[in-house]
Amino acid sequence: MATLEARGLTVTAGRGENVPKVLRELSFTVERGQVLGLVGESGAGKSMIGRVIGRSLPTGFRVASGSLLFEGQDLVGLPADRLTGLLGDRIAFIPQEPLTALNPVLTIGAQFGEHLERIGVPRGERRARAAAALKDVRLRDPDALLDLYPFQLSGGMCQRVLIAMAFASEPALIVADEPTTALDVSTQATVVQIIRRMQRDHGTALLFITHDLRLASRVCDDLLVLYAGDVVERGPAADVSAAPRHPYTRALQAANPPLAGTDRRLVTLPDQMPGISRFTALHGCRFAPRCPVADPTCATAVPPLEPVGTRHVVRCVGECLAKAAEATVAAPALVRGDARGETVLTVEGVSKHYPGKRDWLGRRGPGADAVKGADVTVAAGEFVGVVGESGSGKSTLAKLVMGLEEPTSGRIAIDGKPVIANDPASREIRLGALQMVFQDPQSALNPRRPVERLVTQSLEAPHHATTEAERLARARSLMLETGLSPDLLDRYPSQLSGGQKQRVNIARALCVTPRLLVADEIVSGLDVSVQAQILNLLLDLRAARGIGLLFISHDLAVVRYLCDRVMVMKNGDVVEAGPTEEVFSNPRHPYTRALMAAVPPEDPTVPWPPEVVES
Amino acid sequence: MSPRTRAALLRCARNPRVMAGLLLALAVIVVALGAPWIAPHDPQEQDLLNTLLPPMWSAGGDPAFPLGTDTLGRCILSRLIYGARVALYVAFVAATGAMLLGTVLALISGYFGGWVDWIIGRLVDIWMAFPPVILALILLVGMGAGVNKVILAIVLIGWTRFCRVIRSEVIVVRRRDYVAAARLAGFTHVQTIVKEVLPAVLPLVITLFSLEMGIAVIVEAIMSFVGLSVEPDVAAWGVMIADARTTMNQAPWGVVMPVAAIFATVLAFNLLGDGLRRALDPRLVTSRESL
Amino acid sequence: MSRIALQLLFRRVLLAIPILLCVSALVFVILRLLPADPVAMSLPPGATAEDLAKLRQAFGLDRSIPEQYLIWLGKLLTGDFGGSIYFRRPVLDLVSKALPATIELVFLGLVLGVALGVAGGLAMFAWRGRAGEQVLDLGTSGLMAIPEFLWAILLILVFGVALPILPFIGRLSPGLSLPPPVTGFLLLDSAITLRLDVLGSALRHMVLPATALAIGLAPLVMRVLRSSLMEVIQEDYITQARLRGIPEHTILVRHALKNAALPTISLIGVQGGFMFGGTVLVEMIFAFPGMGNLMVDAVRNHDLPVIQVVGLVYCVLVLAINAVVDVVYLMANPKLRTA
Repeated sequence: MATLEARGLTVTAGRGENVPKVLRELSFTVERGQVLGLVGESGAGKSMIGRVIGRSLPTGFRVASGSLLFEGQDLVGLPADRLTGLLGDRIAFIPQEPLTALNPVLTIGAQFGEHLERIGVPRGERRARAAAALKDVRLRDPDALLDLYPFQLSGGMCQRVLIAMAFASEPALIVADEPTTALDVSTQATVVQIIRRMQRDHGTALLFITHDLRLASRVCDDLLVLYAGDVVERGPAADVSAAPRHPYTRALQAANPPLAGTDRRLVTLPDQMPGISRFTALHGCRFAPRCPVADPTCATAVPPLEPVGTRHVVRCVGECLAKAAEATVAAPALVRGDARGETVLTVEGVSKHYPGKRDWLGRRGPGADAVKGADVTVAAGEFVGVVGESGSGKSTLAKLVMGLEEPTSGRIAIDGKPVIANDPASREIRLGALQMVFQDPQSALNPRRPVERLVTQSLEAPHHATTEAERLARARSLMLETGLSPDLLDRYPSQLSGGQKQRVNIARALCVTPRLLVADEIVSGLDVSVQAQILNLLLDLRAARGIGLLFISHDLAVVRYLCDRVMVMKNGDVVEAGPTEEVFSNPRHPYTRALMAAVPPEDPTVPWPPEVVES
Repeated sequence: MSPRTRAALLRCARNPRVMAGLLLALAVIVVALGAPWIAPHDPQEQDLLNTLLPPMWSAGGDPAFPLGTDTLGRCILSRLIYGARVALYVAFVAATGAMLLGTVLALISGYFGGWVDWIIGRLVDIWMAFPPVILALILLVGMGAGVNKVILAIVLIGWTRFCRVIRSEVIVVRRRDYVAAARLAGFTHVQTIVKEVLPAVLPLVITLFSLEMGIAVIVEAIMSFVGLSVEPDVAAWGVMIADARTTMNQAPWGVVMPVAAIFATVLAFNLLGDGLRRALDPRLVTSRESL
Repeated sequence: MSRIALQLLFRRVLLAIPILLCVSALVFVILRLLPADPVAMSLPPGATAEDLAKLRQAFGLDRSIPEQYLIWLGKLLTGDFGGSIYFRRPVLDLVSKALPATIELVFLGLVLGVALGVAGGLAMFAWRGRAGEQVLDLGTSGLMAIPEFLWAILLILVFGVALPILPFIGRLSPGLSLPPPVTGFLLLDSAITLRLDVLGSALRHMVLPATALAIGLAPLVMRVLRSSLMEVIQEDYITQARLRGIPEHTILVRHALKNAALPTISLIGVQGGFMFGGTVLVEMIFAFPGMGNLMVDAVRNHDLPVIQVVGLVYCVLVLAINAVVDVVYLMANPKLRTA
């Protein structure tokens, strides 16, 4: 008997006749000791399965048909008390956000103890059991840890605690929903390793939900790729990742910049995954509108899942599969800008010290050096990447460059002219040469401004006497340049998709024709396929405008794809800097090496994830 | 109009509290404006033959005095109607003053931070050490009694309420990247505050304004009750309660009627403010939608 | 109490000093704006200009305002609170009689208000999404639309006049002799000296005024507790607890309430301070011999020495209640406690 088996599971949103199916006819099995990866971009419906199991579907969502069998009993119709009896005992969850998944006012010991009480461990044994469990996930000094509160722990440590709790009852099934997404790269690898080892040791069936195809193919035995609520491809992880068949799976893989090998321009799909409200209008294959090889029949009938190998099935028609194979090979080589122009930005020995915050008793904390003596130059037409994990000081560096923060020491010059953060003259110099693209378009775009007034916002500043007609014309040309339809000019940010918002964000920065853009994590919130579109847009802008870029990111692969030079930051220090190819092919600093080792490699023969260190 | 604004207005229009509050407030405003035409008597007119008459529906009532008369034989209904003028005048002027003072200080404090914020913050701390009634009493002793002094006192007390709440909201907005983006687009500080920060806190300002109107009605009633507001012969609800308190045993309606008037007016502004807060507070809106 | 709590308390006391200095200066300056001359008003009709000048000199009113302030402050620090113009008695005497009464009243009002508020908040939360919640919600709107002093009058009308079951004038029934002062607090003294007749009478006299004060606080507590509970149950850790199969009531008591209590505690801190303001009119209406009554008498008679001191004492009370609540908050919040 399979540990978990879905049979034609269909979840709908809303009531009435023609309701959108958020999950359509989902079927899979997970056996004891097996790992099934559910892969998909946001909106694919991959989190719905966990919610069906935990009976925590959003309001209005319900299981319309099909069944979800756990050890033979259907979880969908199970009485609530029997389900509660299974949860935490036979079925456990590992959450996405470890820091918010633990109660901030209870100690780790209290919460672990409560869980052990729930699964029937006698009071006297609980503390020892908890300590042993924490030791098992390689947490150092578990006894002391039990008396701490969650906020005294890092995200990675909280996640290990939650993993230990999940395995405490020796459950038959564990559902891990994006368990590493909220964590830093290096922590991610560790957590994946721990989950995998525990799962193997305990023979647990694991449902691993993720947006990261590359990660899933390293972690899982089987993969199931979801697109807009449909299973588009299912099969053994090795087969699916080595030879993806569905045009979407192929596109997903092709949109992901590699960390090694030859540079090809990323192949992008137009547009993005349809939202739930558009599902009912898509009668056939939901991928058809974006599919590079779709034929007219695709849009009218849903193709069945066709076997293409051992246990490997694809929801696509035969002719398209053949065409898809041809289409993806033809990716052109990546053209790098090699002509270095005049140096625009010079940063020399810049440091930023933040004084400590006063606590409740008014005592000042020790403070922090966010950036310690950083040097950067960026020339026109040059793309420079800054890589680091959270707290590395990379965002502070961007703020210092833009004059949003004042450096404690060091020198910043634009076109050789020194600029100091807050004086009007340096502000003039900066505004003429530099612009910034912000990380989170949700926060960067004023929700009360329509797109036209967002992209041309700079024209409202003093000394810009423009007429409304000129402004509209400027807005139109910026829209074209950033690949946005002029129809969107009257829209407001809430009516745009994530990718569109980020394009508006870029268009606004381009309005005053800067020579250098500073981009802080501008693709981190986007799905892979949309991320590829934005990366290519930046490359096109360089070709068209000869613009320079200071690109801040935690994602090594993205930086490698985009940048000519790269610097690696850790705790405010620049630990390594140099031409991208050199740094990536021959990393010298141990931290750079550790960062690279933490990324799941393309080559399936390389062992990954790396062994765990205690923390 | 942005879809956000439209959605917000729609939520307000659909919110029963907002609509009930608005209707009740409008009713009070109409009564106050139309007092000379609505009131059956002159509010000062004494009819010493008909003192302490009960309301017309109880035994011994007189239809000429629908809600009865007070110790001097003045028509309670007419005095209530004219009292609405005093209450609304104070509420509107005082709440406007407190809103302007508090919001400007909050914007400056929250936007610029640093020492300006520190000074304004300490000023608020000092003000918060006073229970509002005590500060009002002290101010009115110092400035002398009178309805305009009451307004000034309410402004000098109420600004802290605006300042505290709006300042923390300004700080939240200030951290949004679009404020930094406006600066990078070349906006001056004043432009940034007016075009980017103020619109974001405006719903909160409107909400607080409505609640402050209710508070002002109460403070005016308290001050006229202890005789520090209007002249003793002017018809104000607090004065009416103070006058009728002495004869509370025989004629409880003399107290109950103005209490009901205060209740209705304050309820109107509270419902309105409360409904607006629920309809406009983004946190509440999203949490209700996700439930 | 832990060391950190004592440290916090000490710091709050230190911080209170500059605030009180500013407050006293502010009060002093505001009161010197006074258009009328309180001294002239307190003199008998036949007094001469010379008498007036003499009296003004006696009260130090012939000097400049900063000078007067410093003299007054200096005396205050040496324990000389000045003399009342109207009552012709030392201010210290008046305050030390009135203060315990007010503190007792506010204490009872707070306890009652918090109890009613917490019970109501929990009820609203338990009935969320049902008619009961709507009724309670509208009820709070209604309760909040009537200020404490009107509640005082309405309570008198109902429980004093219409159904005369509770006394509403003064602090004790006439004819009862006071117990010997031990602490100065009537309730404590009568309990210590086993004067149960006095204790009973005092408590009965406090029911209505304390209720009037409590009605001002309870709806606010209800609302804040309910909305914090609503917010907390959407937190990730509640979902996770459910996914671990923890029963709902355990989740409510162990996980939700502990977190939702924090905003409620801060609210009580602010509103507890305001409650002292509410006593002013409530005491006056119930002829309850506390600080509020003293304040109203002083205000009506422009008795500046009394107003100054009473105003300052109110500020001390507010700061004290804030400090106590801060300590409670600190103890309830491990994030601050372990910082």
